[in-house]
Amino acid sequence: MTSTPDIIAGTPEKPRRATFDLIALLAAPGLLFLALIYALPLALLLFQSLRGADGSLGIANYVAFFSEPFNIGVLMRTLRVAALTTLLALLIAYPTAIAMNRAKGVWLTVFLVAMVLPMSLGVVVKAFAWSILFRANGALNQMMQAIGLTDAPVRMLFTETALVIGAANVFLPFMVLPIYAVLQQQQASLADAAASLGAGPFFRFFHVALPLTLPGIVAGGAFVFSLSVSMYVIPSLIVGETQQNLPMLIARSFLYLRNEQLGSTISAILLIIAISVVLGSSWLARRLGARE
Amino acid sequence: MRMQVIASSQPESLSVTGAMTPGDKRYLEVSMVCKSFHGVTVMEGMNLRMARGELVSLLGPSGCGKTTLLRVIAGLMPADGGDVVLGARNITLVPAHKRNISVVFQNYALFPHLSVSENVAFGLKARGETADMQAKVADALALVRMQGFADKSVTGLSGGQQQRVAVARALVVRPDLLLLDEPFSALDRKLRETMQVELKSLLRDRDITAIFVTHDQEEAMGVSDRIAVMNAGKIEQFADSSTLYARPKTPFVMDFVGLSLRLHGRVVGHEAGVSVIETARGHVTAPVDLPVGSAAIIAVRPELVRALDMTNAPVAAGCNTISAHLEDAMVLGSKTILHGRAEDGDRIVCELSGIHSGYRRGQTVRFEWNIEDTLAYAVGP
Repeated sequence: MTSTPDIIAGTPEKPRRATFDLIALLAAPGLLFLALIYALPLALLLFQSLRGADGSLGIANYVAFFSEPFNIGVLMRTLRVAALTTLLALLIAYPTAIAMNRAKGVWLTVFLVAMVLPMSLGVVVKAFAWSILFRANGALNQMMQAIGLTDAPVRMLFTETALVIGAANVFLPFMVLPIYAVLQQQQASLADAAASLGAGPFFRFFHVALPLTLPGIVAGGAFVFSLSVSMYVIPSLIVGETQQNLPMLIARSFLYLRNEQLGSTISAILLIIAISVVLGSSWLARRLGARE
Repeated sequence: MRMQVIASSQPESLSVTGAMTPGDKRYLEVSMVCKSFHGVTVMEGMNLRMARGELVSLLGPSGCGKTTLLRVIAGLMPADGGDVVLGARNITLVPAHKRNISVVFQNYALFPHLSVSENVAFGLKARGETADMQAKVADALALVRMQGFADKSVTGLSGGQQQRVAVARALVVRPDLLLLDEPFSALDRKLRETMQVELKSLLRDRDITAIFVTHDQEEAMGVSDRIAVMNAGKIEQFADSSTLYARPKTPFVMDFVGLSLRLHGRVVGHEAGVSVIETARGHVTAPVDLPVGSAAIIAVRPELVRALDMTNAPVAAGCNTISAHLEDAMVLGSKTILHGRAEDGDRIVCELSGIHSGYRRGQTVRFEWNIEDTLAYAVGP
């Protein structure tokens, strides 16, 4: 047995050795799988983007990409659609999460099923369902004409508006659930405490509810923004080739143009956007969390 | 059996420790307040009146409606009917944030995203009273001896420190009424007693009117001028602690406040303000008028019971006496508690001052007390 003075002196009888936990080996298949199927191709892709047509290494491909106004337009559209989708998802998700937080028993189950069930339905099926809703003689146009909002059918299919609505629909659970999780950790009495101290509804919202849910909003925003930036199927089905985004441009470069350098370069740009969203949001979440 | 007792019907109970501010006895007036949840009535025709500067406790078991009453007064929950008047202003329909009633919550409800001083400043900011805010916040923190913690995060504080911050936050806005919901329940026993003394003198010094909600009778007796004992949505008795203890109005109050020797029986005779009750341990005389034939409970506070070693001694005049086998003798240092073997639902208990180590389990002991100390209640036909 180790005696107490030894411990105090810092000279335990057994020399301390870095022990290797055999259980850690269980992670090996997963790590190997990721390394082979994810990290390696990604590294090759990045390498590809840095290689010129003549085989020399450099940022020529990036310069070429950014000097093309069409590409800048696609990049801007991608970011704009992602930002609008995130905003719309937030506006719908926030009240939903509050309602879910209040819900009990059967109602909570209904809410959770309503959040999770649509995820099991393929995006293709949803997109065709929307086209029934959005088309010229679709349900939405008929309704708007019936209540006298519009005189003639409004073009909604193949518009950015339809894309944002559709994408917000698909990604909604990724915004609701983080906000709901943050709300779940809050004491219900905080709102009562604020009210009893003389804070009206607006003051309570902006000084208590909103700051406390900000980490959830940041996390949900990061999810939805990253998903929106990299979506391919939804814009292909809703707006088609007329208004391309970055992932569609990538697919076109690889599949139709057979320009692997361009495709790799756009992929790398998309990757950089995604990584900065993740890093930026986790930095923001940590900064917000540090106060607590 | 149960009755609503309001302050005006108990003028003798107002003669308390002397610190009470004379004047308006109707500073807070709750009248005929009703509340039900999903068709279940939890409160009906609730009345409560208290004076300015008075410290009152709502005491009762969980589910008695004390927290509901507190939330109705605070405006955090609408009443189904009735009125709440505070300082001549009817606030029944006034939203919580315009009532100027501060609440200290059971879990303190400090804002985790704000520092200690920001928590205390919250109420001033919300009201737009930003003049001298820093000075007011510093004063409030000094009042609860937390001035060294102004810039600390509230999540790192101990329970007692969090409670001090909650009290400072509630007082800095100069509330017309302070409500405290089980404020000491999360603290350990020693800290709880210290905080009770501290808080009471703080409220007294500042002449603050406050209502404590608690299920702990010692806490209620320690911190308040008067105690409203609640049961099943009604106030059973509203009096100062000595009246509650010495003259409980109902068997519920007798049982809930303090321990008693307690026997069930039946009234077998009465004359001139004295009733005789037959119990499993013999006849007991009580100084009250009870209808002959009705079921009754008699009770005595344990420190008024004497234990006699000589079981054959004659019964002294003006005394009740019963015999029982000793179940247990607990020597607690400052007192010794004797438990006699009793029938189901009855309790035989005697509290002797000091150490008495001569008692043995199983021995027969005679218990004696004065007739005038006997409490008795009719509990049915």
